Amino acid sequence: MSTTAIKGNSHCNWGHKMDYDLSRIDYGICGITYPDTLKILPPSGQKMEQKFAIGDKNGVLQCLSIKDEEPVVQFKTLPGKPITSVQLASSLGTQADKIFTASGNEVKGYTRKGKVFLSIETSLTETITSMCIIGSDLILCSGRIVTYYRDLREYNSYECDDRVLDIAAFASTRVRLLVLIANKGAILLENGKLISRTVISSGPSRLTVPPSTHVTDIIAFYGAVDGRGLGSVVCLGWYFNNGNFHISVGRHDGSIQLYLVDMENFGEKPRLKYTYFCGEPVTSVVGGSVAAEESELLVATFSGRIFGLRSSHFATGAKVPQDILATRRGKLEVEVARLEKQTANEREKYQRNTRSLHAGLSTPPLLDIQYELLGATNDGWQEVRITSAVPLDMLFINSNKKLAMQTDTAAVLSICSSKEAGSDLLASVRCQAGTRRVWVKMREISNSSTESKLEGTRVLIYALPAGAPRVARLVTLKLPALPYYSSHEAVEKEERAWCQLEVSGNFSVAEMTSWLTEVLPGEFPDLLRIRGHAKFKSDNVSTIATIRNIVSNCSVEKSIRVEMSCDIPDNCCLVSFKQLENKFKQEYKKSKDIILKNAISMLDLDSSMNEEGPILCQDYARVWDSRESINETQFEELVETILQWYLDWRTLSLLENFNNESTKLETALRKNVKWMIFLKYSQKNVS
Amino acid sequence: MQFSTVQPVFKLELNHKITPEVVTIAKYDGTHPCLTASAGYDKIIIHHPHGGMVSGRAQRSQAHGEVSELNLSQAVIALAAGPLRPDTGRDMLLIGSPTQILAYDVHDNTDLFFKEAPDGVNVITTGFFGKHTETLAIIGGNSSVQAIDWEGNEVFWNVVSGKVCAMITFDFDKDGENELLIGCDDSFIRVLKNNQFIAEIAETGPIMCLSPVNEVRFAYGLANGTIGIYEEGIRLWRVKSKQNALALQWSGDTLACCWSNGRVDWREGTTGRVLRRVQMRANAAAMLLADYRSVGAPDLVCVSDKGEVLGYPPYQENTGFNTATKSKPSEEDLLAITELFNKKQALMVELQHYEANAASGSVSLENLERPASAMPTNTRLQVAILHSPEEACLQLAVSTNNETVVRAALVLAEGIFESGETFIRHPQPKQLRSLLHVPLKPPRDVPVDVHIKALIGYPNSEQFHIFELTKQLPRFAMYQSFTKEVRNKGNSYVTFRITERVQRICIWVNQNFLLEEELNLESEETKELHINLLCLRDQSYLYMDFAADGQVKFSTHDIRLAGDLIQSLAVYLNLTDLQSVAQFPEAEKKLREEMEHVSQIGEMRSRLAAETAERAQLITALLPAAQDAAAYDLREMLNRYKEVVMLNEELLTGCYIRRSTQEQAVTSLKSLHTILQQAVRLRVGKYSKAVVAASRKAVQANNIEALIKIIQVGDSMIT
Repeated sequence: MSTTAIKGNSHCNWGHKMDYDLSRIDYGICGITYPDTLKILPPSGQKMEQKFAIGDKNGVLQCLSIKDEEPVVQFKTLPGKPITSVQLASSLGTQADKIFTASGNEVKGYTRKGKVFLSIETSLTETITSMCIIGSDLILCSGRIVTYYRDLREYNSYECDDRVLDIAAFASTRVRLLVLIANKGAILLENGKLISRTVISSGPSRLTVPPSTHVTDIIAFYGAVDGRGLGSVVCLGWYFNNGNFHISVGRHDGSIQLYLVDMENFGEKPRLKYTYFCGEPVTSVVGGSVAAEESELLVATFSGRIFGLRSSHFATGAKVPQDILATRRGKLEVEVARLEKQTANEREKYQRNTRSLHAGLSTPPLLDIQYELLGATNDGWQEVRITSAVPLDMLFINSNKKLAMQTDTAAVLSICSSKEAGSDLLASVRCQAGTRRVWVKMREISNSSTESKLEGTRVLIYALPAGAPRVARLVTLKLPALPYYSSHEAVEKEERAWCQLEVSGNFSVAEMTSWLTEVLPGEFPDLLRIRGHAKFKSDNVSTIATIRNIVSNCSVEKSIRVEMSCDIPDNCCLVSFKQLENKFKQEYKKSKDIILKNAISMLDLDSSMNEEGPILCQDYARVWDSRESINETQFEELVETILQWYLDWRTLSLLENFNNESTKLETALRKNVKWMIFLKYSQKNVS
Repeated sequence: MQFSTVQPVFKLELNHKITPEVVTIAKYDGTHPCLTASAGYDKIIIHHPHGGMVSGRAQRSQAHGEVSELNLSQAVIALAAGPLRPDTGRDMLLIGSPTQILAYDVHDNTDLFFKEAPDGVNVITTGFFGKHTETLAIIGGNSSVQAIDWEGNEVFWNVVSGKVCAMITFDFDKDGENELLIGCDDSFIRVLKNNQFIAEIAETGPIMCLSPVNEVRFAYGLANGTIGIYEEGIRLWRVKSKQNALALQWSGDTLACCWSNGRVDWREGTTGRVLRRVQMRANAAAMLLADYRSVGAPDLVCVSDKGEVLGYPPYQENTGFNTATKSKPSEEDLLAITELFNKKQALMVELQHYEANAASGSVSLENLERPASAMPTNTRLQVAILHSPEEACLQLAVSTNNETVVRAALVLAEGIFESGETFIRHPQPKQLRSLLHVPLKPPRDVPVDVHIKALIGYPNSEQFHIFELTKQLPRFAMYQSFTKEVRNKGNSYVTFRITERVQRICIWVNQNFLLEEELNLESEETKELHINLLCLRDQSYLYMDFAADGQVKFSTHDIRLAGDLIQSLAVYLNLTDLQSVAQFPEAEKKLREEMEHVSQIGEMRSRLAAETAERAQLITALLPAAQDAAAYDLREMLNRYKEVVMLNEELLTGCYIRRSTQEQAVTSLKSLHTILQQAVRLRVGKYSKAVVAASRKAVQANNIEALIKIIQVGDSMIT
């Protein structure tokens, strides 16, 4: 504690004191934006005020400057393919004032006047998600591939293990590329070769390089998916004010944060100074002197709002004459009134159409909805995040299996009665006014021991916006049967009992891939390469059993004949069990403690609130003292899992399932006695 | 909006756990407010920060110097306080236990009165009511309300059809006299004036809190998380939360709402928009208004269940709670600009939608490549409500006028569906049609607004059009008319006389029933009207006969339905008084049974109480004997202790029996009260009031025959 305080003091010495009371000032609206597509151009000539460029989903690139608090269009392109990346670069020796945009597999270059000086179409198959430009070198990332172009010719390329999220180039005498890879970490490339690798456990999402570092150092900050309680990081930027450097963070939950960074000592943890909440995912946060000489933070959001955050004294103080804001407000009021009238006219025309005898075809554009399904964490919940450009009124969810559900605190979830007394589930999520992002967590209700899983769960989500347009977008999801797995690096340091399943038959790679989506989350980049043959290896016998069930079920549906053979070691349960023996013991203890805690709580001991607390024997006192921390145990789940292993092992080893055998095991597990002996005995007997 | 950093103006710890909702603040000495709360089963704590140590029965708490403890031998269910004694300005403490009510003068350490409450005590409130000049204590039980004065005399009594959960005195009809607003667990807010119910407001869940706002407005909170404000009997706004509102208070022109999870928010009075919110460190136990700092204006006093007390001053516009920073006009401009952009963005999205529509208008229907969001422009949605006697429900038929299908239908209606307020139909892909039926089963006879959102498109669309419609179900929608001639209309009926043309009756029928065809009189000369109806819920019959001489007869086995019909008709015809003659053998039989039951239980209770007292006495004698024996004969001691244990077990068994008889008594009393309530509703105005008074007398006298007579003809004393 005390060391932090001292550090805090020393910080004040190198920076001027600044107030973090920032006000929002809205500049304008563009289309839906992708992450990091807003860039502030360097100042030109005498003027300190900087222009900025923003590209949107409609394919429009605009370059704007702010005059009297109002945006002035410098240039604006025609609509086209969605712009997914915007970068600035310099032609040799000058300022970085060339604007590059990537859309699909195309890259275009614009001068600051809006003249196209470069336009190339690459042979890349996937959309370019990020890029960087060094002199006449162009580095493009699309899918899992980083491609290096020199003088517009492909120079080299590198294929990563997973999707490339972001890239930064460090150019001195040699060019080194820092590449951020989904679920994995970061790698450093030089000349198309891997020279270094780092694993980032929290799942990186975005990186940024501090301005003005020594060119020989490779330093970058990354944002993470898990977001430490807040939303995942969507974009990063830098904000310089009063001699203080801040890293600016824009998150998916709509929060914008400023962290003070010690530029002399990057090892120091950046300190959070400011948080603003704008209500929808933030796609760009960059600092610059946009409206005046004083620096401000320029923000773009998913739905296409562009606004500045600047010190209150500067936003509303003497520097900005009050009438400017009032004029601006007046103008906007007129504009909105005009739009309202126009909309009313169009609305009426639309209504009239519904009564007309001549049926045309109404084809409104698809609602801008983004969604992602996150893999399960160890508690089994899978989370789907839905982001909309317009405020949502409600979600309506249908799944073909019963699921347990949770949702945002800002939304009300109700499981509805369905008329068909089937196994399906209907639920509605009603959102608070202005909700643009909402998450729903789903978990299968575990009755796995009684029925074997034959397919994944299909979930339909209809997203209904609160206002116009009155259309509902359908999002279809597939929850895999085994949601816990995420692809990982192959490590074989431990001794495990591997169970194997081999499948061969007349199926294509695509078919097997689609079957696998029923089982496992995520994509399968390098799992399957051979037609008609697949091999699965796991130390979890239940996993193998599930895959076997699903593959056989799917192949029957497609009427494809497959041969399956299993290789199950006799000691698999025992070996797997040894792996979590300690955990099992812990959880057992915990479950006992909870029973004790509940019993003690029933005594209503704390009503007297003595200073020393109630007088109890040592064991009880320990439970009582830690009553706040012992809340839940996974003991039940563990017992279930182990039992399932045992049953699956018996099934796959073609042994008969005696009911009393598993009952015996269950009793042994629950009492935490002799289970090891039981397993040893039972599995040895077979061999 | 931010989770605000509002700081409380005062903060204290009681060092006691607090039972939620059993908290009050009272001025026992007439000037200094003292927080009083239940701290556990039978313990009451009184916080007196202004000195004046309470003496007498109360003991100084060991856990807190400024807190006194008061131990009762019974569970504390409700607490209230008020200046009941007319001669002093001091607040008297009212303590409600499951079957009794005790009024205690804390300052003088004397009992004011002690009264049995056989119907239970759920809520106590104090205040002025009607023309009564002194402060009354009003007690809400399981199926009745009762008012008593400071000497414990009953001032009035009435039956309520549900368990009373919230009560306030409030001048509902603005005549300068307070009425009693009663919130019940049967989802009604009822207004009692002059011992007559003058209004009932149907809500969508059990009413958990009520709070006055100003002369014309009051706030309410429901068990399903809804809170809102009524103005002159019309709902101004409501919002719903996942949490339950524990208390509502009007403070500084805002509605402060305290949620059970410890969140407190301040809302704008006219819209319900949240202005500020804070989160307590523990779950909430209470929120009250009191001038706890003695500054001349009441603060909001929030109490958590861990015993933390936080005080907040009244909220002030513009400045919030911070008097230092005032918002500048330019800041206002900035906010307005952001808001205008919000509007502009929404409008632009809508415009784009229409533009895209117009652009694709030329696409012909024959086009094979149908986009994933397409739909014919002249698609319309039609909705009808049909009776379905086979499935004992109403069917909402939702259909389109072309080959598009109803992919899903969401029906939002309150109080109709077993699980929440939304019902969804989402047919299997094979069953997709342009027509979809949604079953509706309103469990009670109140008008319901049914909002329908239907998703219309093609079976494989990726986007569907939302069609919205609202339909009102009339009050008696669950009754289907039939034309068959009926001779035997049963022996259950109510008759009365009205002087009204059948033409007007006809309008009432059309408004309140869902008839396949509107009821039309054959000619102007028609003087009588006969309607036969079938109840979809239980397939029972209802016959309504309006004779030419003004005699009306409603034949149904259901006394409640008869009452509902009479009340509805009386409101429609603006009748102030109505007497009726009723014949409901089912209800009469039930009444006899319940009366019998109640008196039996009464006898059993006194017998059990005597037994318990006897055993308790024995134990008190045996226990010291056993202790004495320890000194000389261990075996003897053991024997005596064994006896004590045995007796103790007997006592415990007795206790269980007593508890279950108590529960039975409450249930019996409740169904008895329900029948009386139904009898009251067969009459209007002074006649219904007379039924209340007469039946109270008859119940107290245990006179079954008189009660039956009252059900049949009302109180015959009044003519």
